[in-house]
Amino acid sequence: MCPTLAVTAALKPALTMSVAVIFVLICSNVVISSIRHLLKPHLRILMFTLIIASFVTIADLFLKAYLPNMSEALGPYVPLIIVNCIIMCRAEACASKNGLVISILDALGMGAGFTISLCVLGVIREILSTGAVWEIPVMPKSFVPWAALRMPVGAFITLGLLIALMNLIIKKRATTAA
Amino acid sequence: MSKIKYFIQQSWLLIASSLFFGLLLAIADAAWAPMIEANKTKELDNLMAELLPDAKKFQLVGQFQIESPSRQSEQINLYKGVSASGQNTGWAFNASGFGFGGEIELVVAIDNDFKKIAGFKVLSSIETPGFGDQIKLSWYRGQFIGAPAEQLQLERTGNPEKIDDQIVAITGATISSQAVVNIINNTLLPLRTQMQQKGLLTGGN
Repeated sequence: MCPTLAVTAALKPALTMSVAVIFVLICSNVVISSIRHLLKPHLRILMFTLIIASFVTIADLFLKAYLPNMSEALGPYVPLIIVNCIIMCRAEACASKNGLVISILDALGMGAGFTISLCVLGVIREILSTGAVWEIPVMPKSFVPWAALRMPVGAFITLGLLIALMNLIIKKRATTAA
Repeated sequence: MSKIKYFIQQSWLLIASSLFFGLLLAIADAAWAPMIEANKTKELDNLMAELLPDAKKFQLVGQFQIESPSRQSEQINLYKGVSASGQNTGWAFNASGFGFGGEIELVVAIDNDFKKIAGFKVLSSIETPGFGDQIKLSWYRGQFIGAPAEQLQLERTGNPEKIDDQIVAITGATISSQAVVNIINNTLLPLRTQMQQKGLLTGGN
């Protein structure tokens, strides 16, 4: 959750973060799935951490080399992908039990979901805090930016409202179905 | 003996993959380390090039020690912008000080006879997003472009488009605005004095 909230002040960092997570997710799922028969139950978490940490470090070095500005903007949150629950959870729940194809599809699906939620948060916060999307102005000149939305408090409020909206939709569906 | 065998049986995968991934990281680092290093120097060059657009390249002229009231002493790297025809197009140097969130590092550019500020850029800062980090925005930075290379003053209200020694503060971020003015005030004049002593500023060039 913490990187999710920290990198969604604008669309660009949110998307960069998502791509990095998808890369790590696919690579770790592939490796874990292909060595799943060799894994010893009591050593599996160690192996997961080792594999995930390696790919995260590679992604971090890649960003530093090719996208230095983005790497600066994301700061410590790229290395923090190592402790991202989604990746650890998919390694445990899916890749260590299923074959290569299913693991790759699982990584893509999970990654797409992560990307969508990060980008929705990023777009809302960027529009309201700077009046722009992807750094291109979209709001009328008279629009007063809400600076608070760029700070962590903005992330919590936006996320809270989105979850409330989702709950509302789910509840409505449940009542219409019943 | 059986204990060692048991140990290896249990952990061979972990040991082998540690070696494998260690090697992988070493290769990745070796491949990209020069690029990462080059990015850092390029960032400074790019900032200086934006401030002094006529310069084709930048030469490190010298390093100066500046005493400032807030800290012991600071090392300033002074660069000279050289145009395609070899003319001096201006000077650029790094300067830093404390703002609201923490240290602010600037690159400041001055015209070739040290009379007018050519602008500044923020190399790194951790000022509050939406408030203090407006020091990076062009309306605030624009006030310094063409301002006299003398002691600058911070004003709470005024017209930011008027170019003089009065700098209009960012609403809600007076400390950050004052910090930038202080950083420039604290380095500019001592640096000019030292450059004159070294004979770098004689003959109008």
